[in-house]
Amino acid sequence: MKTASAFASVAAGLLAATALVSAAQAQANIKIGVVTPLSGTYAPIGQQVRWGLELAAREINAAGGIANRKVDLVFEDEEANPSVAVQKAEKLFQVEKVDFLTGTVNSGSTLAVAQLAERNQKLAATTVSFADSITTDKCSPNMFRVNARAEQQSVALAAWLARSKPKSKVFYLGPDYEMGRSTVAAFKASAEKTGAQSSGEVFAPLDSKDYTQYFGQIRAARPQVVYTSVAGNDTVRLFTQLQDFGLLSNLTIVGASGTVTSQNIGAMGQAAEGFATGVGYSPQIDSPENKKFVDAFKAANKADPDLYGADSYGVLFAYKAAVEKAGSTETDKVRDALRGLTWQTPQGAKTIRAGDHQAQQPMYVVRVTKGKFDIVDQVPADQAIGPDTCTRF
Amino acid sequence: MNALDYLQFVLAPQVLNGLTLGVAVVLVALGLTIIFGLLDVINMSHGEFYAIGAYAALALGAAQINFWFLLVLVPLLMLPLGMLIERTLIRRVFDGGDRHVTTLLVTFGLGLIVEDLLKAAYGPNTFRPPTPITGATEIFGIILPNYRLFLVFFGSLVICAVAWVVYRTRLGAMVRAAAFDRNMAASLGVPVSLVYAGTFAFGVGLAGLAGVLLAPVYSVFPTMGRDFILLAFTVVIVGGMGSIWGAVVAGLLLTQVQALASLVISPVWTDPIVFGTMVAFLVFRPQGIFGRLGHA
Repeated sequence: MKTASAFASVAAGLLAATALVSAAQAQANIKIGVVTPLSGTYAPIGQQVRWGLELAAREINAAGGIANRKVDLVFEDEEANPSVAVQKAEKLFQVEKVDFLTGTVNSGSTLAVAQLAERNQKLAATTVSFADSITTDKCSPNMFRVNARAEQQSVALAAWLARSKPKSKVFYLGPDYEMGRSTVAAFKASAEKTGAQSSGEVFAPLDSKDYTQYFGQIRAARPQVVYTSVAGNDTVRLFTQLQDFGLLSNLTIVGASGTVTSQNIGAMGQAAEGFATGVGYSPQIDSPENKKFVDAFKAANKADPDLYGADSYGVLFAYKAAVEKAGSTETDKVRDALRGLTWQTPQGAKTIRAGDHQAQQPMYVVRVTKGKFDIVDQVPADQAIGPDTCTRF
Repeated sequence: MNALDYLQFVLAPQVLNGLTLGVAVVLVALGLTIIFGLLDVINMSHGEFYAIGAYAALALGAAQINFWFLLVLVPLLMLPLGMLIERTLIRRVFDGGDRHVTTLLVTFGLGLIVEDLLKAAYGPNTFRPPTPITGATEIFGIILPNYRLFLVFFGSLVICAVAWVVYRTRLGAMVRAAAFDRNMAASLGVPVSLVYAGTFAFGVGLAGLAGVLLAPVYSVFPTMGRDFILLAFTVVIVGGMGSIWGAVVAGLLLTQVQALASLVISPVWTDPIVFGTMVAFLVFRPQGIFGRLGHA
């Protein structure tokens, strides 16, 4: 009798304890860490990331949260520097105990954070980084990408270029790091497949003050098209310097989708006119979901969303869908739920390919006309995705 | 690529582009070398004063004030700011303990604060004032934007004027005397305290002028101060602290090395060459090419 009652009381106590723990879990907020550049040359991109995530978190919380748990965003400045990104991500995982991490912009930071997420057995997603390697040869079971990668963008752009300027001579100018080299390689491969010739390439350091030192090489190569994948302030300098040197008049400038954004287009004025790029998002996409998103974004931030803002907004809804499908925030369960997940974003339905964690989506070609991007072409999701070359999982 | 193409499109423009960048770097380094060489203060916030100058040009330009007037107005507005900072921050740590360490830390902190204030006031986005002189001139197939030609011309004038003030005027002599021996200068009637504050403010004003001049070329954003500061420090060290001609020679030389080296090696490797030169100078000739001003 005595042992039985002791057993019963212990069992009751255990039950009560588990009930308490699960009640506490149900009430505790879901913490999402955001490691993004809030200073430095990529600060304008970090700002869009922040605006997109904050808007999504507000909307999710107003509608009851993720599985009835509120979402908290914890921001850290990574200064677009992989070593800083790793320190800040480690802090978020270890000290803040975040459930999920996002926000990295620099592809080097994303790759470094992927390794860190593996060590901490947590999941992370990038909404910005273009480098193909993140979901190809350096893919990680703990890293997802919800934005379009370099190859998706370049396939769309090359298809448009082949139609509007067949068999043109192209010069390539990229920033000298992971993203710059992979975007140039990806576009070159796509463009050569559709008949373009390469007339030279140069890689400039990130944060270059003066691009004029490369103009000689560009002029001597006599290209009809210049492809570039510089971003942020670097774009302002490159384009306005090209304009100052009178080189824009008989060149078509095309580039990576992050090259010209709503953040830097104002500073460039006429110099950005005619720039064309392949993107996964444009505020002009004509759908009710996108109109609602653009209106809410403008009301909250007094600025148009760009692809970073839209993709960062979308990632929280992917995480919400996955957690609710998995019924848990445990890493393995959420990973399984994210694989093959289809969810709604401002640019329409996206699907995460299970084999490499890359989101598939329709792609657009947009061109700057009178200071605004106009959609000039569209490529369906399955034609722009390319083969799955991730072999780690 | 044939030899003529190479000369016309690559080599000659490269030398000229290196020259404009060189003049820009010397303009930023000028104030730095004066503050470093004459006051013995390592001013880590110099880049941020350059940024303040650029933002001031942007704000006043938006208020319809003519660019040519701003070239005078902004540096003048920077003078009281420089005086204030010298009086309230620099002077307090000037004689306490290790001057280099304390002034470096104080100005470094000040620079971080200014950068965040600019970001709070204007946001992180890039701005660019309109180019005051548009168009480009073509000489033998070499294209040079007119504003860059003006920059080289006007920059050279500013450099000569500053050199004239420091080396050839009674004011410059007082500054150099105060730098050489503060007590002796004071006992000979030099108002040392005022000279120190004035020298610091002069350096700050020069940074502001560089900001106004370079904003249309390099655009304006909160972290722009970091752009030139390392290169400017290198120029000051290689040229000799406080030496104006040293800064000119080192600035033009290093930017030419950078421009020409980028033709044969990957451009990212030009930075190691420049900073390697600085390290070599620190090890083998710490006084720089021309030696320290006032301490020759």
